[in-house]
Amino acid sequence: MNVGTAHSEVNPNTRVMNSRGMWLSYILGIGLLHVILLSIPFVSVPVVWTLTNLIHNLCMYLLLHTVKGTPFETPDQGKARLLTHWEQMDYGVQFTASRKFLTITLTPVIITSSSFTYPRFRYILTSFYTKYDRVHFVVNTVSLLTVLIPKLPQLHGVRIFGINKY
Amino acid sequence: ASADCSSCTCQQIVFLCVFVYNNMFVCLFFYICFSVFQVHLASCYGGLYGRPFIESFEETPMLVAVLTYMGYGILTIFGYLRDFLRHWQIEKCSIAREKENQKDFVPLYQDFENFYTRNLYMRIRDNWNRPICSVPGAKMDLMERTSRDYNWTFEYTDRVVQDVINLGSYNYLGFAENTGPCADSACEVTMKYGVGVTSTRQEIGNLDRHEEMEKLVAKFLGVESAMAFGMGFATNSMNIPALAGKGCLILSDELNHASLVLGARLSGSTIRVFKHNNMQSLEKLLREAIVHGQPRTHRPWKKILIVVEGIYSMEGSIVRLPEVIALKKRYRAYLYLDEAHSIGALGPKGRGVVDYFGLDPCDVDVMMGTFTKSFGAAGGYIAGKRELIEYLRSHSHSAVYATSMSPPVVEQIITSMKCIMGEDGTTIGCKRVRQLADNTVYFRKRLREMGFITYGNNDSPVVPMMLYMPAKIGAFGREMLKRNIGVVVVGFPATPIIESRARFCISAAHTKDMLDRALSVISEVGDLLQLKYSRHRIQPSPARPFDDNVYEDIDD
Repeated sequence: MNVGTAHSEVNPNTRVMNSRGMWLSYILGIGLLHVILLSIPFVSVPVVWTLTNLIHNLCMYLLLHTVKGTPFETPDQGKARLLTHWEQMDYGVQFTASRKFLTITLTPVIITSSSFTYPRFRYILTSFYTKYDRVHFVVNTVSLLTVLIPKLPQLHGVRIFGINKY
Repeated sequence: ASADCSSCTCQQIVFLCVFVYNNMFVCLFFYICFSVFQVHLASCYGGLYGRPFIESFEETPMLVAVLTYMGYGILTIFGYLRDFLRHWQIEKCSIAREKENQKDFVPLYQDFENFYTRNLYMRIRDNWNRPICSVPGAKMDLMERTSRDYNWTFEYTDRVVQDVINLGSYNYLGFAENTGPCADSACEVTMKYGVGVTSTRQEIGNLDRHEEMEKLVAKFLGVESAMAFGMGFATNSMNIPALAGKGCLILSDELNHASLVLGARLSGSTIRVFKHNNMQSLEKLLREAIVHGQPRTHRPWKKILIVVEGIYSMEGSIVRLPEVIALKKRYRAYLYLDEAHSIGALGPKGRGVVDYFGLDPCDVDVMMGTFTKSFGAAGGYIAGKRELIEYLRSHSHSAVYATSMSPPVVEQIITSMKCIMGEDGTTIGCKRVRQLADNTVYFRKRLREMGFITYGNNDSPVVPMMLYMPAKIGAFGREMLKRNIGVVVVGFPATPIIESRARFCISAAHTKDMLDRALSVISEVGDLLQLKYSRHRIQPSPARPFDDNVYEDIDD
C-alpha cells in the first residue's frame, strides 16, 4: 500500500492522465453523461447540450483545479500537497500531450452546444438571434472560461485572492 | 544451442545488411517476420547473450483499462459520499480525528492524504498483514480473523487455518524451515554465542563467525572480498552514499526498489532515471552525461554509477546484464548490481544473475545482495574488490553505527550457502536449484496456457499475474484464501494505476502436486473472476513501448 514500493515514481498522480485507455474513458464518460441527460423527457436538445457542457466543466474544475494534493501519502515530502491535479500533471511540464488533449476537448463541446442553439451559426462571436439563444451562449462561454483559464501556463500555481491557497 | 545458431545464421546475414548498432527496432521487425515469439538475441548482438532471453509484457486490453478507470471512479464517488456521511456524523467515524478544542489550529492531519487509505485500502485490508503461526515454508498455518466493522478492527476466532499453500514468501530455495542441518547448527551456535551481539562491527561486535561468513560469501560469488550487514534495506540505503557523492551521477532504472532510490537520494549525487531495462535509454543518458558533463558547470562527472537490480520483484523481469556490462565498459562507468531476489534463485549453480548469463563476476564493480530471500536468513552483503570492501568497512554508516548480525542468523547463512555450493558433502543444494528452475518454467508455462497475463522473463521465479481492476484485488486474495492458498496482491499506488497484480513467488520447496493444486485453484478462481485476459499476442522483447511522453521530477 505504500507509494513507490514498486517503482521510483514519487507521485503516481503525475502519470495517471497518460495511462493506457484514460483518454478513451474520458470521452466515453462525456458521451455517457450526454446520453443520460438526453433521456430526461422534458428538456430540449439545446438545453441538454448546455447542461452537458456545464456539468462537464464543473466536474473538471472541481477535480482538476480545486482538489489539491494526493489521496495517498507520497515520499516527496509534501511537494505536491498544495498543487492541484492539473499542476501536478507530468511534474509541471507545460504543453505535454495530456494537457493539450484536455484543453482541446473543451472546445468541441462548447462549439457544438453553441451551434445547436444557432442553426445558421458559423463563428462563436457573431450577432445574436434571440434573447433565448444569447442566454445559452453567455452561460456556455462563462463556463468554458472557468475551465480554460486555469489551464494557461501563466496561471501555474497562481491563487487569485488567496482562494484555495492552503 | 548449435542447432539454433545454424538456423539463425541465414537470418543473421539477411538483417546484418540493414543492421545499425543502436537501431534495435529495425532488426526486431525482421525477427518478427521470421520467428513467432522467440528472439534469439545471441545472434542480434554478436553473441553477447549465451541463452535465449524471452520476456513478455502483454499490453492491457483497452476494455479492461476503461472498466478499471470506471471502477476507480465509482470507488472515488462512494469515497466522497462516505466522507460526507462521516463528517456530518450520520455514519460512525473510526479514523483519527483532532480534538474539538484544537479545531482552529493548523490541522495536524491532512484529510485528503488519507482518502485512499480510508476509502479503498480499508475495504480490502484483510488481504495483508495476515498473522502466520507456523514456519512460512511451502505450507503455513494462518490465524483466522474476522471483522465486524468492515476491516477497521479485527478479531481472532480461535481457529487456525492449517496447511495453506504459501505462494507469497520469498523462499526461493526452501531454506525457511525449522528442521534440518541449518536449524540444528543455528541452535548450536546460539548455545555458544547467545542471540544478541550488542555492539557494532567496529567495536566489540566482530565475531569469528562474521569473518568466516564473509569469506564464504566472497567465495560463493567468485569475488575477492565481501562484507555483510544486518538489514538488506540498510545495506543499500547506507552504502550508496559511501560510494557516490556530490559531483557524481547515478543512472538508476525506473523500477528500482525504494532502498536504492533512498540510497541514491541520501548520497547527494545527480540522479537520472532510464526506462526499465531499456538499453537505448541507458546509452542515450550515458552519452548525454559524458558529452555535457555536470549541470551548470559542465565539468566532467567524478564518477558515473549505473544501478540495476538482478530480478525486479514487481515485474518479474531480469536485467539485460550482458548489454549493461558492454555499455559500462564502453563508457567507463561503474555498475552496482542489486541481486536481492536473484542470488540463489538464478543460474545453474545458484550464484545469481551473473552465473545465469555466464559472465565474469569481476565485470560487476559492486555486487549487492540480500540473505533474506534464498538463504532463509536476514541481512545483506556487498561484494567486490578488496580495496572497495576495505573502504566500506570504515566509511559505511551501516558498518560504523549498526549492530552486527546475530550469530544464529550468521550460522544459517553459512550452512545454507555451504549447502548450495555443495561443500557440506550432499547434493541437496544442487537439487534445490534445479527444482526451482523446473518449478518456475512449469508454473509460468501452465499459467500462460490457461490464458492469464503474466509479466516478466520466463526464468524468473517471481511471477506477477495481472488483475487490473480494484475490486478483483480483494476478491482474488479472499477467494484464494478460502481455497487454502495464500497469495500476495498489490494495487495502486504501489503499482501503476491500471496494473494491479497478484505476485506469486515459486519455491524449490513446492512439490509438483502443490503446484498442480495451486494451478487448478488459480484456474477456478480465474474463471470465477474472469481474469483470463490474455489474447496470446505475446510480443518478443523488448516489448515495453518506449514512451517518450514521460517526465520526471528534476531536483536540480
